[in-house]
Amino acid sequence: MSDILLENQQARKLIKSLGLPLPVPERLRRASGPYEERPLDTATVVVGGQSAGGTLARTLAHDLARAGAEPIVVGVEDDLAPFREAGEAWGRPPRLVEPGEAPESQRARAIVFDATGIASADELRALYDFFHPWIRRLERSGRVVVIGRPPEDAKTHGAAAARAGLEGFARSVAKEIGANGSTCNSVFVEEGAEARLDAVLRFLLSPRSAFVTAQPLHVRKLVKGDDAPIIRPLDGKVALVTGAARGIGAATAELLAAEGAHVVVLDRPADDGPASQVARKIGGSTLLVDITDPDAPEHICRELCERHGGVDVVVHNAGVTRDKTLGRMKPEWWDQAVRINLGAVVDITARMIDQKVLRDGGRIVCLSSVSGIAGNRGQTNYSASKAGLVGYVRSLAPAVAKRGITINAIAPGFIETRLTAAMPIGLREGARRLSALGQGGQPVDVGQAITFLSTPGSVGVTGGVLRVCGGALIGA
Amino acid sequence: MATPKKNPSPAKKATAKKATAKKAPAKKAPARATTKSSNGKRRAVVVAGVRTPFVKAFAELMELDTIALGVAATRALLDKTGIPRDEIEAIIWGGVVLPANTPNLAREIALDLQLPPSVQGYTVTRACASGMQAITNAVAEIERGEADVIIAGGSESTSNATVPLPAKAVRAVAPIAFGKAKGLNDYIGVLAQLMPLNEVLPKMPKIAERTTGEVMGESAERMARRNEISREAQDVFAVRSHHRAAEAVASGRFDDEITPVEGPDGWVHADTIIRASTSVEQLAKLRPAFAKDGTVTAGNASPLTDGASAVLIMSEDKARALGYEPLAAFRSWSYVGVDPADQLLIGPAISMPNALARAGMGLSDIDLIDIHEAFAAQVLSVTKALGSKAFASERLGRSEAVGEIDDAKLNVHGGSIAIGHPFGATGARMVTTMANELHRTGKATALLGICAAGGLAAGAVMERV
Repeated sequence: MSDILLENQQARKLIKSLGLPLPVPERLRRASGPYEERPLDTATVVVGGQSAGGTLARTLAHDLARAGAEPIVVGVEDDLAPFREAGEAWGRPPRLVEPGEAPESQRARAIVFDATGIASADELRALYDFFHPWIRRLERSGRVVVIGRPPEDAKTHGAAAARAGLEGFARSVAKEIGANGSTCNSVFVEEGAEARLDAVLRFLLSPRSAFVTAQPLHVRKLVKGDDAPIIRPLDGKVALVTGAARGIGAATAELLAAEGAHVVVLDRPADDGPASQVARKIGGSTLLVDITDPDAPEHICRELCERHGGVDVVVHNAGVTRDKTLGRMKPEWWDQAVRINLGAVVDITARMIDQKVLRDGGRIVCLSSVSGIAGNRGQTNYSASKAGLVGYVRSLAPAVAKRGITINAIAPGFIETRLTAAMPIGLREGARRLSALGQGGQPVDVGQAITFLSTPGSVGVTGGVLRVCGGALIGA
Repeated sequence: MATPKKNPSPAKKATAKKATAKKAPAKKAPARATTKSSNGKRRAVVVAGVRTPFVKAFAELMELDTIALGVAATRALLDKTGIPRDEIEAIIWGGVVLPANTPNLAREIALDLQLPPSVQGYTVTRACASGMQAITNAVAEIERGEADVIIAGGSESTSNATVPLPAKAVRAVAPIAFGKAKGLNDYIGVLAQLMPLNEVLPKMPKIAERTTGEVMGESAERMARRNEISREAQDVFAVRSHHRAAEAVASGRFDDEITPVEGPDGWVHADTIIRASTSVEQLAKLRPAFAKDGTVTAGNASPLTDGASAVLIMSEDKARALGYEPLAAFRSWSYVGVDPADQLLIGPAISMPNALARAGMGLSDIDLIDIHEAFAAQVLSVTKALGSKAFASERLGRSEAVGEIDDAKLNVHGGSIAIGHPFGATGARMVTTMANELHRTGKATALLGICAAGGLAAGAVMERV
């Protein structure tokens, strides 16, 4: 069902001119085409935090200049040095702005705060001082990223508290700027993993993260990885996407193919038609398997080995709902949902890893769900399976790290698909508006997040859940 | 430049060869000089170069199209060198705005000059690096043993660029021109369709990037901003270009390189764009041409120009056998591409170090540097990048900067801003001037750099022979 507040120009005008107390959501800026060399070309990015003891200036200067951004550095003359150097190499000279006030009519596409120096509750004040003059200068579909160190690595309990505070700050900023289509996320980067920020910032600061907001991302050095290509990052890679005949799966398959991957489109034999259509469109191949078959893991692994010599990216997207309150639920409904959503994922993944069908440097992405995490009436089976996935990726990540493999879960919120179009209108409207961005996401938004976690550049991110929910109220 | 000595013995040799060729008319491939040069490889050498005066577009040479200009330069080269025509094996020509019906300029020039029909030819196009491309192709073919004598060069007549009629005008006029207009009313109807007039008048061709739609001056403007090149620095550079070129003219340094050309209003003997009297104060008065608060003006950019240049290239052995004194040879060259949407004309900052590396040299081994001046902002951006350690480490993967460019070595006789820039001809002009400079001064090496539309660039290292 189309979103009238988003797509009907007349309705948008009417509500605005009548001054109705209805929030009219902002049309989100989305990326078109494959990964680019300079996703932030000509974008003004305001950077601060050095004066608060931030230690990432060199990394940020390099990453931003190479991505094409034009930096405004909030600080003192000495803070400019690393930005000058990177600017010279990439033709992006920085501008200096003194702390305290934003210059008249200066707008910003993105604001990045290096909070790695914040070590106490009092020092959190630096957030207020930096953001206060700039937050209302953010362009529509703007981006805010707050970067800190992981609380669990802090030397003192006070420092851990301050570090953890960043996440709450970012979540609230996300709610404040969501009406403009802007997002705010926090990133916690382990010491020694700074080089892995580049790909994360390219994702979070670009339109590819349109529906990702109010989320924390953890960047670690746990998994081994080499330098990653920026454009066509999946060249020469084989990707398996389950449930790829339609919706999020199809959108993901297209995005992965656009980055150079050969995509194996897996779906049930009954979905032969749409699966082949997707595969034809992207030059991939089809694999028709019912993943609940006991011999499905063996079958899939054999096919991948024989036809493609292995696999590099696995996206466990296939899933079903069999909703009913617990008392009314039939046992086979419980079994179906848990088997498809969780059991099959565990069995297939285990075999792929044991038999090294998944090559070193591989990426696994499991589709969890916000309602799975939050719990939902009538979804005991579904929630059990989707929350199970969260535990699965957390548990498996350290075990496969040595082989350079990452595994993450994605938890979509309200996404405009066949499933959500069938919801009752009241529920649907509520689900759409109860998020920071005030609207539902598109399958491509989830696909972009999956693609990011499938690239070699996302090597720093593993074992976690990334929500693509537009900052939904539930499930925090 | 020393006029090539013509001793009688090679001339005799040539005649003798002609005789054998007549005896066996079926054999087409001429005998190659097979002796190898000192380093064991065949080497191609620059024997001589000539160009037409470079003249502002839509002025004295407007009536001459790119082929006619090419013919003028090539004829002068033939006269100057006295090369026996049957020794010439090919013409390789560079051009950018090519005539739609006769894009193979090289062949047309050979035919117009009534060279032997066996003088084959082809035309290359690589935007402003086209002339350089023609020359390095000739050098490569000779060094591979495919030929001994090739004329390479390029020409451009911006004045004769095809100006397409807007589709609206074509559609309006077509019924009268090709159809069946009957009465006065039909004609009035057509006239009515032609209003407003500015929509049907042909538009001046623009040097715009196809992918970005950006006019090249806008790209230069952006480079000035990105590399923090001030208006004053650009104007100072432009003035120096004019003053150095004017000195070269006054001293007669260009006399050997330029041939007079007859236009409709008489002979044109010298370049017409160089201004000896210009000053930074004068240039400072000009308004920015591409942006309201910009820094690129008509004074610190190269103008649209008509002109042609031709260079005679031979294998070293052949040149010596024919009694010519070689001027220079190529140690290396490099062509690169950068993203046109970022810094369109920064390429020479990569192609020049590449060429140096291929020659096994550093900047300190170089005595002369010649960089094509599309815009002062672009040259200064390139020299700034070459002097930057950060640029070297990020973009070239080197730990040290390529080096500071010594103004005393850079564009010693001015460049495209002062002399002008007929796109296809500039490469051959630079090669001619550098070859002569090496030969005259006894200096050993020259580094060339050319930026080109599409984010392309050329770099080359020449050495004195």
